[in-house]
Amino acid sequence: MSPRPFGALAGAGLAALLALGACSDREHGRAFGDPDRGRIVVGRQACGSCHVIPGLDEADGLAGPPLTHFAHRTVVAGVLANTPQELARWLKSPQAVVPGNAMPDMALSDQEARDVAAFLQTLR
Amino acid sequence: MPGPLKWLGGWVLGGLTALVVGTAVALWVIFSGAFDATASTPHLAPVAWATHTAMIHSIRARAAGVKAPSRFTEAQVVAGFAEYDLRCAACHGGPGVPRATWAAAITPTPPYLLDAARRWSPGELYFIVNNGVKMTAMPAWGEVERPDQVWDLVAFLEALPGLSAGNYARLRASAAPPRPFLEGAAPPAAAHGATPAS
Repeated sequence: MSPRPFGALAGAGLAALLALGACSDREHGRAFGDPDRGRIVVGRQACGSCHVIPGLDEADGLAGPPLTHFAHRTVVAGVLANTPQELARWLKSPQAVVPGNAMPDMALSDQEARDVAAFLQTLR
Repeated sequence: MPGPLKWLGGWVLGGLTALVVGTAVALWVIFSGAFDATASTPHLAPVAWATHTAMIHSIRARAAGVKAPSRFTEAQVVAGFAEYDLRCAACHGGPGVPRATWAAAITPTPPYLLDAARRWSPGELYFIVNNGVKMTAMPAWGEVERPDQVWDLVAFLEALPGLSAGNYARLRASAAPPRPFLEGAAPPAAAHGATPAS
């Protein structure tokens, strides 16, 4: 990764940290996307068939990593900082971020990706 | 009335009351439109739990008698892939392969099957594919495929946990087209293994 994107990433991460300090995670997530709508998208997209997702019935898949304590993750997919923006980027086009990985591009809209990111930030 | 019989009378009266009230509530749910049959809203949590749990136990119990082969050949896996990619991937996706966009609009939504072989035994997978699942969109593929074609699918599902997205794509590029449905291939009676009527 070239230095400039890294700087932007670090800046975004810092901004997210400051924002996290300023308000609760749930409020922060809501400003970015709607966690309740995100939860519905997660159900409809069958995320639980590959991921353990706390609080979702039948979300017990073990093909991908469990999403427990997701808000505390530092790295998404091994390459992105766990900020709502970067997370939404990953959710929208996982194949562009890590080509050839098992998670498919699910054709989420920008808003759906933000909503799912906001939902994942509620998993403490 | 003697003591014990008085007790019994109370229980009978209570049971009848529960039966009448329960029946009335059930009929009300059925006829009033209170049950939301739309696919655009998710099941209520208790309904989702009850139907899903009943489905799991039904399959486990009913598939117990299915005798699965002890191993599958590579040819079966490749043939199963061709079937899967044509008939299953739209709803169930694959490694790195999204479902069709409309699959998310099905309730209950069809799962990805990357770890299906860790959830179900080969016999159970055969039973599910062969018989389908009521009140989901899962068809009974045994109605249109021969048993050996269903076993090919099971062979593929057994291989799926170890199949990378890259290898799925390579299979897609190289695989032969799937064998046709029964109706195009052979007389259905013969294909089902039954003896001809005449």
